Amino acid sequence: MHISDGVLPTQVAVGCYVLGAVVVAWSTYRTRGDDLPKVALATASFFVASLVHVPLGPTSVHLLIPGIVGVLLGPSAFLAIAVGLTLQSMLFQFGGLTALGANALMMGIPALVCGRLFQALRGSSRQRAVAAGALVGALGVALAALILGLLLYSGGEDFLGVAQLALAAHLPVMVIEAAVTAFMVGFLSRVKPELLELPLGSGRQDALGVKA
Amino acid sequence: MTEPAVVVLPLWLPGLILLLAAGGLVAVGLCRRWAGAAAEETAEEERDWSIPELVVETAPGNLFQRWDTRIKLATLLGYAFLVVSLHRPGPAAAAVLISAVAVLLARIPSTGVLKRAAGISGFLLMLALIMPLTVRRHPGDPIVVIAGLEFLTFNPRGLTLALTIGCKALAVALLMEPMLATSALGNTLEALARLGVPVKLTQMVLLSHRYLHVFAAESQRMQTAMRARGFKQRTDRRTLQTVANFLGMLFVRSFDRTQRVQDAMLARGFTGRFPVHHRFAAAPGDWLLAVAWLSVGVILLLFDRFGL
Amino acid sequence: MHDIDQALLPKHLANPLLQAEQLSYSYGNGQQALDRIELSIAAGDRLALVGQNGAGKTTLARLLIGLLRPRSGRVLYAGVELAGDQLRRARLEIGLLFQDPDDQLFCNSLYEDVAFGLFNRGLAPELVADRVRRALTTVGLEHLAGKPPHHLSTGQKKRAALATQLAMEPLVLILDEPTANLDPHQEQLLLEQLQRFSGTLIAISHDLPFLCELCDRAVVLEEGRIHHDYSLRELVSHPPSMRRHGLDFTFRFSCCGGHPEAPRQVPPTAAAAVQAEGAEAAPSQPLTGTVPLFQLRDLHYTYPDGTRALRGIDLTIEAGDSIALVGENGAGKSTLLACLGGIRLGRGDCRFHGNRIERKHGGELWRHLGVVFQDSADQLFCASCREEVAFGPEQMGLSKSEVARRVEQALCQVRLGGYEERVPLYLSGGERKRLALASVLGMEPEVLILDEPTAGLDPRSQELLLAILQRLPTTKILVSHDMFFIGAVTSRTLVMHQGKIIKNYLTSQFLSDKALSSLNQIHYTYKNRCCTEILGLDQGAYFQHAPDR
Repeated sequence: MHISDGVLPTQVAVGCYVLGAVVVAWSTYRTRGDDLPKVALATASFFVASLVHVPLGPTSVHLLIPGIVGVLLGPSAFLAIAVGLTLQSMLFQFGGLTALGANALMMGIPALVCGRLFQALRGSSRQRAVAAGALVGALGVALAALILGLLLYSGGEDFLGVAQLALAAHLPVMVIEAAVTAFMVGFLSRVKPELLELPLGSGRQDALGVKA
Repeated sequence: MTEPAVVVLPLWLPGLILLLAAGGLVAVGLCRRWAGAAAEETAEEERDWSIPELVVETAPGNLFQRWDTRIKLATLLGYAFLVVSLHRPGPAAAAVLISAVAVLLARIPSTGVLKRAAGISGFLLMLALIMPLTVRRHPGDPIVVIAGLEFLTFNPRGLTLALTIGCKALAVALLMEPMLATSALGNTLEALARLGVPVKLTQMVLLSHRYLHVFAAESQRMQTAMRARGFKQRTDRRTLQTVANFLGMLFVRSFDRTQRVQDAMLARGFTGRFPVHHRFAAAPGDWLLAVAWLSVGVILLLFDRFGL
Repeated sequence: MHDIDQALLPKHLANPLLQAEQLSYSYGNGQQALDRIELSIAAGDRLALVGQNGAGKTTLARLLIGLLRPRSGRVLYAGVELAGDQLRRARLEIGLLFQDPDDQLFCNSLYEDVAFGLFNRGLAPELVADRVRRALTTVGLEHLAGKPPHHLSTGQKKRAALATQLAMEPLVLILDEPTANLDPHQEQLLLEQLQRFSGTLIAISHDLPFLCELCDRAVVLEEGRIHHDYSLRELVSHPPSMRRHGLDFTFRFSCCGGHPEAPRQVPPTAAAAVQAEGAEAAPSQPLTGTVPLFQLRDLHYTYPDGTRALRGIDLTIEAGDSIALVGENGAGKSTLLACLGGIRLGRGDCRFHGNRIERKHGGELWRHLGVVFQDSADQLFCASCREEVAFGPEQMGLSKSEVARRVEQALCQVRLGGYEERVPLYLSGGERKRLALASVLGMEPEVLILDEPTAGLDPRSQELLLAILQRLPTTKILVSHDMFFIGAVTSRTLVMHQGKIIKNYLTSQFLSDKALSSLNQIHYTYKNRCCTEILGLDQGAYFQHAPDR
C-alpha cells in the first residue's frame, strides 16, 4: 500500500525526501555507472510485476516484491525502487507526489535488508536458497508494513488505529509473498542461477569500454 | 463544554449512511470503469493492463503548455507541499476547487484525471472508514453511538480528519495531470534535471518508462498464453507456483534484454550521457504565474492557520 | 561430417575494411562460441552470414562491432585494432540492426531515438534535426517522429530501427535477422531500403530468398568455425552443403519451383510426398455431423483504445478443416484467433459446437483448443520440459498417471522424447517451438491454432515442424505469411483485410490468385521470383540429390 498525499505531516514528508535522497545517492554509488541503464530496465520489469494481482479468497492483493527486488538487485535495489515509485506516482497516482520519499524508504529499505540477508543465507544448495527466499519474501513485507505503520503513526496518536490496521492487513500479503518469492527462487535456481548469485548492477562486463 | 456530548443515533440512520457509502462505492466503481475506458467486451479475468500515457493531448497554447516546464514543475511541487500542510477541511476543500479550475484551464481529457482519482480512492476510503472509529477521543469531542451497536464509538473528528486528508490528496492528484500531461515526458525530466535532480536518475526514469510498455505487453502475452492453457487464479499453492514461474520468466526475459539494450546504446556511441533535446527559456510571464500560484498556496496556508 | 573445403576458405583481401584475425570467443559458462575465425571484409562487400541456430553468427556480429571482448585474436577496423578511439570510431561507423527493434528503440520518441547516435557523434543540433528528418523520410516514417515506439507496429518499428542506423550514415551495416516477424509487404519495403544502401553489408538470416536479393558473398558458420566463404550463388547451387548447415530450404521449392501459378502440381519432391501423407491423415468426415465446429455471424471487435479490429466476420469451420488465415499485419488475424479461442469476446454471434461462446463458456473453451503463439517465449514459463507439457493437462484436472502418459506422448509427437528434464529456456528456437506445440498437444485439443509457426526458425526446424503438423489429424487454423507452409498444411484459405474476410476459397485457388497482391498488399510474389531464380541455379544439382532425402 502506498501512502498518498496529505497523510504525513509536512516535516516528515520532507525529511523522508532528504533521507531518501541520501540512500539513493549511496545506492547509485554502489551501482556500476555502466549498469545504470540495466537497472532502469530491471525497474520496468519490477513495475510490471507489482501490477500482478494474486487472488486471496474473495478479493485479490497485489505483490509488493521488496524481497524479490532486493534479491535480484542487491544494493541497486533502492535506486530501482525510487525510480519505479516515481513512475507509479506519475502514471497511476499510486503513492502521492509529496510522499514519494516516504514510499521509497518504506519499500527500499526492506529491499536492501532482504538483498543483504539473502546473499548471506542462500548457501549453496537449492533447498537453502528457497528457504532463504521464503524468509526474505516475508521479511520484506513485514519490514515495509512496519515502516508504513511508523510513518502513519508520525501523524499523531489519531493515526494509531490506521497504523495497526495497515500492519494487520499486511499479514496475508506476507504469507503470499513468502510463497511466491520461495517458488521464484526455486525457479531461477534451476533456470538461471546466475541471477541469484550476482545481483545486477555489480555484474561483470563483457563489452569493451569506451571512455568519454 | 465540560461534559463531552454523546449523541445516540437510532439504528436506521447508520443504515442510511451505509446506503450512501455503498452509493459512493458504486460511483467509484463507475469512475474506474470509465477510466478503464470500456473493459466492455473483454473476457473475464482480462485485466486492463494498459499503462496510462503521459502525452500532450491538450489544445495547444493553453496556460500550462506555454508555461516554462522548469518553473511549472518547481511551482507546482512547492504548491503541493503547501497544500499538504493544510490542517483544516475548509482550506483543503478550497485547494480541491483551485485544482479543479486548473484542470479546466489545462483542458485535459477527463479520463486521465478520473484514473488518478480512482488511483487514490482505495487508500482514502480506508481512511474514511477507519479513522472515525479509531481516532483518540480528545476531551470535548462529541461521540456518536448507534443504538444497539454501542461498542462502536463513532468520532466525527476522525471523519473530518479523513476528509481533510482526502481533499488534500485529491487536490494534489488533480494537479498532476496539468503538471505532467502538458509537456512531453522527456521535456519534463530534462526540466527536472535543470532543477537539480541528477541526470542519471532522470535518464533512468525515461528508460524505465520506455520499457514499461514493452514488458507490460510481454507480460500480457504471457498471461494470455497461460489462460489459453487453462490457468485460473485461485487461492491455492498451484496458483502461487505458477505466478512465481511467470514472474521468474518475466525477470529472466527482461534481464536478458537489459544486456541487448545496453549493447544497442553502446553501438550508437553511448558514453554515459544522453543527448539533451530541449532548450528552456523563461519569459517574465512564467515567473509572474509562478509567483501568483505560490501566493495562492501561501494565502491558503495562512488562512488555514490563522484564518476565520 | 564433410571436410572443410580448403579452396573455399577465406580469401585474404588486399585492403580489408573489417578483419577478424584468429578470433575466438567463449560464453560465460565456458562454452566455445567462436573458434579462430579468419575473416576479411572489403569495402562494398555484401556478405550473407549464414548457419544454423547457435552457430555463432550473432556473437561474431557483436565482436565485429566491439560489443564483446574477444577471448583471443583481434578485430581490425580499417587496419587498426578495435580499442580506445578506434573502437569509438568503429561503433559510430558500423551500424548494427538488432533482431528485436525494441532493443534498439530505447527512447520515448522516434525522433530522440534517431537523434541519439548523431548527438553522440557530436553533431550540431540543426544538422541533427536535418539528418533525422531525412532518415525518417527514407524509411517512410516522418509523420511519426513524435510518437513513442510502443505505438508503432512491428514493421514500423523495424524500419524505425533501420532509420536509427541510416541516420548515422554507416560505412558498414550489420543486420541480425532483419526479416523476422515481418509480413511480406513490410519485408519488401525493408529490402528496397536496404538495396539502396551503398555501403558494406553483413546480413545474418535464414531467409535465403531475401539474402539472394541482397548479398553476393556467403560465409557459412558452423559450430563457431567458418566452413565456407564463397559466393552466394555457389552456396545455393550446392544443396548438400546447404543441407549440412541446416540451410536447405529446397523442401520449399514444391510451392513455387518454376511454377508459381500452379504450386500444388509440382513434381515428386519430398515435400510433396509428405503433403500427400498429410492429406490422407486428415479425416474427411466432419466429426460432429451437421453442426459445424465454429460458426461466426457478424462478429465485431473493438479494442479498448478504439481500434476496430474486426468488422463483421462471417465464418463457418467444420471439424477436420485445415484453414489458413492470411493478410497484412494489422488485418485482424490475431484478433480473430483470440475471439475463436475465447480469449476475447466480440460483439455478434460466435458459436462452438452450436453453443454460443459467452463469458461463462468462454472460460471453458480452452479445453478444446490448443493455441501455439507466435513467440515461444510468451508460452514457455516452466523450469523443465516435463512441467511445461504437464501444465495444461494438470489444469484440466486429469489424474497423475494420465498426465504422465500425455506428457510422454506429446513429447514423442514433436520428437522431443528424452527432453523431459531439459530447461526450456536453453533449447534452440526450433525445439522451443516444438515444445510449445507439445504443451498444447498434451491437452489433446480438438482444434489447433498456430500463429506464425515458422517465424525465426531455421529451415531444418521448419521442415521438421511441417512433418509433425502434417501427421496431426486435428482441425488446424494457421495464421502465416509463409506461402509454402500454407500450401503444405491447409486446404482452405481466408484472406483478411482491414478487419474483414475478403476471400474464402481453396488454398490452391489462393496460391494462384494474382489479383491479391494489388488488393491486399500481400507481396508474396517476389519470394516466388527469388525461389525460381535459386531453383534455376541448382536445378540439376537439386534433383540429383533429391532421392537422398
